[in-house]
Amino acid sequence: MELILTLKEDITVPVELDAILPEKIQDMSEEDIKNIEIPQGRARIKIGDIFDVELKDSEIPKMTVKNSSAKLKRIGEGMTTGEIVVEGDAGMHLGVEMKGGKIVVNGNADNWAGQGMKGGEIIIKGNAEDYLGSTYRGGYKGMSGGTLIVEGDAGHEIGEHMTNGVIHVKGSAKSLTGIHLSGGIIIIDGDVGDRIGGEMIKGAIVVKGKVGNVLPTFKFEGIVEDPVIKIRKKDEGVKVEGKFYKYSGDYCLTKPKGQLYISVDSNPDLRK
Amino acid sequence: MEYIIKNGIVFDPLNNIDGEKMDICVRDGVIVESVSNEAKEIDVSGCVVMPGGIDPHTHIAGPKVNTGRIMRPEDSYLDIYNKKGFKIGTGFSIPTTYKTGYEYSEMGYTTAFEAAMPPLKAKHVHEEFVDTPQVDKGALTLFGNNWIVMDYLKEGNYELCAAYVAWVLNASKGFAIKIVNPGGTEAWGWGKNVHGLDDPNPYFNITGREIVRGLTIVNEMLGLPHSVHVHPNDLGHPGNWKTTIETMDCAKDIEPKPKYGKRETIYHNAHLQFHSYGGTSWRDFESRGVEIAEHINKSNHITIDVGQITLDETTTMTADGPMEYDLHMSTGNKWANCDVELETGSGVVPFHYSPKGPVYSVQWAIGLDIFLNTDTDKVLLTTDHPNGGPFIRYSRIIAWLMSKKYRDYWLNEKVHKWAKARSSVGDCDKEYTMYEVAKISRANPAKALGLSLERGHLGVGAIADIAVYDIDPEEKDANTIEKAFRYAKYTFKNGKMVVKDGSVVKEVFGDTIHVNVKINEELEKELMKDLKERFKRDYTIQMDNYPVPNELARSWRSINIDATDIS
Ligand SMILES: [Zn+2]
Repeated sequence: MELILTLKEDITVPVELDAILPEKIQDMSEEDIKNIEIPQGRARIKIGDIFDVELKDSEIPKMTVKNSSAKLKRIGEGMTTGEIVVEGDAGMHLGVEMKGGKIVVNGNADNWAGQGMKGGEIIIKGNAEDYLGSTYRGGYKGMSGGTLIVEGDAGHEIGEHMTNGVIHVKGSAKSLTGIHLSGGIIIIDGDVGDRIGGEMIKGAIVVKGKVGNVLPTFKFEGIVEDPVIKIRKKDEGVKVEGKFYKYSGDYCLTKPKGQLYISVDSNPDLRK
Repeated sequence: MEYIIKNGIVFDPLNNIDGEKMDICVRDGVIVESVSNEAKEIDVSGCVVMPGGIDPHTHIAGPKVNTGRIMRPEDSYLDIYNKKGFKIGTGFSIPTTYKTGYEYSEMGYTTAFEAAMPPLKAKHVHEEFVDTPQVDKGALTLFGNNWIVMDYLKEGNYELCAAYVAWVLNASKGFAIKIVNPGGTEAWGWGKNVHGLDDPNPYFNITGREIVRGLTIVNEMLGLPHSVHVHPNDLGHPGNWKTTIETMDCAKDIEPKPKYGKRETIYHNAHLQFHSYGGTSWRDFESRGVEIAEHINKSNHITIDVGQITLDETTTMTADGPMEYDLHMSTGNKWANCDVELETGSGVVPFHYSPKGPVYSVQWAIGLDIFLNTDTDKVLLTTDHPNGGPFIRYSRIIAWLMSKKYRDYWLNEKVHKWAKARSSVGDCDKEYTMYEVAKISRANPAKALGLSLERGHLGVGAIADIAVYDIDPEEKDANTIEKAFRYAKYTFKNGKMVVKDGSVVKEVFGDTIHVNVKINEELEKELMKDLKERFKRDYTIQMDNYPVPNELARSWRSINIDATDIS
C-alpha cells in the first residue's frame, strides 16, 4: 500500500510524525490513519486534522508526504523497510534510528537527518543542515550503517561519532566535519570548513574541494592517487578518483587510525 | 492511621524471623504489637514481607551526580517516568531526583545513603534531598583528602582531628566518615596519584595507611553510629586486591565504640568488586573475589558492599579524581573533572560495560564471587549506583544470587568466556535464600550503619518501613524473582502505603538523617583558633557561610552523639 499524506495548509507549530511509517499502515484503512494521534507542540492532534489522507495500491510499503514543510519532524524515525518520498522540505530528525528502507526528500532536510541511522538509504535532493548522520545530543554512538546522500550542501558537525556507513555530500559542508568519527566514510565533493576530523579515531574523510585548514594534530602521510579506501583490512574498499594529500589522525588521541584525504588540485597551497 | 498486614511470610533477620507466617501491625508510622478493630486490613497471603530496603552506598544527590545529568542528555533520553499525579522524571543511570525516589520506592526501598558528600558542596546535596521523595536519606561526608584532617593526623593530634571531623559533620549535616582513595585525590591536585597504602602524597607527605588508621581512631573516639566507610587506594587496578586486604587490616586492632546503634565492626569497604582484582595488567586480569571473601570471613571487624557490575551503559562518578582521568583516557569518552578546595575532587565519565567485553565480564563475575563466597552477615547489596550499574538492577542481582540456573545462563550464554575462565562463579552452587536476601538488603545495612534500632527490621517500635513482594519464598524462576523485586506489591513508608502493585500511589518526603556531635567546649575553642585562621587563609568562602542551613531538609532526623569526653 502507498499512503499519500497531503498537508492541507502550512503549519507554524511543529508536528512529530514518528507514529506513522509505511510498514505500520499496511493493514489500516484511511479512517484508521486519519485517527492516529500525533503531537503538535504540546497538544495532541489527529493525522486527519492537518493532512488529506489517500491510500493507493503499491508493491512495496510506501508513504508520500506532499506539500511537506520543515515543520514536519521525525519523518521515517525507526523505519525498517519500504519507501518514503517527501515532496518539499523535511523537518528535524528525518530518518532517526532508521534500520532499513529508503527515504527520498525532494527539498531540504533540517538538522539531525539520519541521526543514529543503522541501515537503509536517505537521499536529500536539496540541502541538509547540522548533525547529519550524528549521534543523539551528548551521545557517543552516531550513524552505524546505511547510506546518506545529500545533493546540495550540509551544515556543521556532520557524521559526529559516526561508526559505520557512508555519507556523501555532493555540495559543501561546514566546520567540524566528521568530529569524533570512529568508522565509516564521509565524502565531500565540495569544500569543507575548519577543523575537519577533529578527534577522529577511525574511519575516513575525503574532500574534493577546498579545506579551511587541517588540524596540527594530523600527520601527513604523503600524496596518493586514486586511493581505494578501506576502514578494516578485509573491506572491499571504496575507490575515489583524484590526487590527495593523505593524513592520519587525530593524534590528540592515542593510537588513532583515522584517514583524511584532501584534494591536491583544489588545495595547491596546503603544504606550502 | 492503623494497618494490619495479614498472612504474609515474614523475613526479618534482625529478629531471627525466617519465613514465618505472621501479621504486622502498624500505627502512626511505627510497628506495634496490636491494632484496634479500626485498622485497615491488607491480606498478603503467599507474599514475602520484609523491612523496607536500605541502600548504604549510592550516588543520588549533589554536584557530581548533577554534573553527570548535565553532561549526559543521551542518558536522560533513555528512560522517562511519566505517571499522572507525579513529577515527570528522566534518565536511566542518572535519574532526576523525583524519579530516583519513585524507583527506590517501587523496589520496596525506604532509605538510601548518598556515599560522597564534599563538605563545601553539602548544600547542593541537601537541596537535592529536599526534592528526593519516598525515602529517608543521609550523606557520607568526605574526609580522606581533607587538608586539615591530613595536617592533624600527620601531627598525631587525634583530639583536634576528632573535634574538626565533628564540626564538619555538624556543618555539612553529614552522617558518617567517608574516605576515598586516601591521599590520592589530593595527589591528583598535583597531577599525580598514590599507589598502594604506603605511598605518601605530595606536600602533606601522608600515606593512605595513616589516613585510614587515623580516621578509624577518630571515628571510634567520637562513637559515630557507622564505621569509617572506605574506598581504598588503587580502585580498578589489576592486582589491587593486596592493597585492599592491607587497608582492611590497617586498623583492625581498634575496638568499635558506637554511642548509638549496635555496630560491631570498625571498617566498611565500599564497592569491594572494584578492589578485588588479580593479575598485573588487563591481559592477565582475574578475580580475587574468593580470596578477599575468605579474608573477610575470618575477620570480625569488616563489613563490605559489593558494587556489582550489571553490564549496562552507565555513568561512573567518584571522588577518586585520578581514576576517572584514567577511565577517560582509556575509553576516549567525555570527562568532567572537579577540584573542591581543601577537601576533595571528583570525576565523571560515561561507561558502557558491554557483556561482550572480556574485562567487563570478569568484573561482573568478581562481584558474584564476592556475593557467593562471603559470610552473608557481612555483605551489603549495592551496585555503587550508578558506577557498577543503576540501582534498578538490584532485582536482577537478586535473581543471579537466588538462581544458579540464571547465573549460569548469563555465564555461558551472555557474557564473554573470560568470566568463566577467570573466576569461580561457574563452580559455585550457592543459591541465596529469601532470608539471606533480606540480610544483604535490609538487616546488614541497618546494622553496619548503626541504624538497626529503628530500621531494617519489623520488631515492635521500628519505623513502619515495609516491603511486600508478590513471590513464593521458594521461587526459582529468575524472571519472576526479578520482576517481584523490581516492583513491590506494596511499599509502606512510615506506615503509609506509598506503592501498590508496583506503582507509586502516594508521594511522601522522608527524613534527612544526620549526626549531631557534641564536643567539649575547651577543645572546640582550640579548634576554632585553627579553623578561623584556615578559613581566612585558604578558603574562598567565609566560615559563617559554610554550614548547611536548617531549612535545607523537609525534616531532619538527628542522631545526637555526646563526644565531650574527648579533651
Ligand atoms: Zn561510590
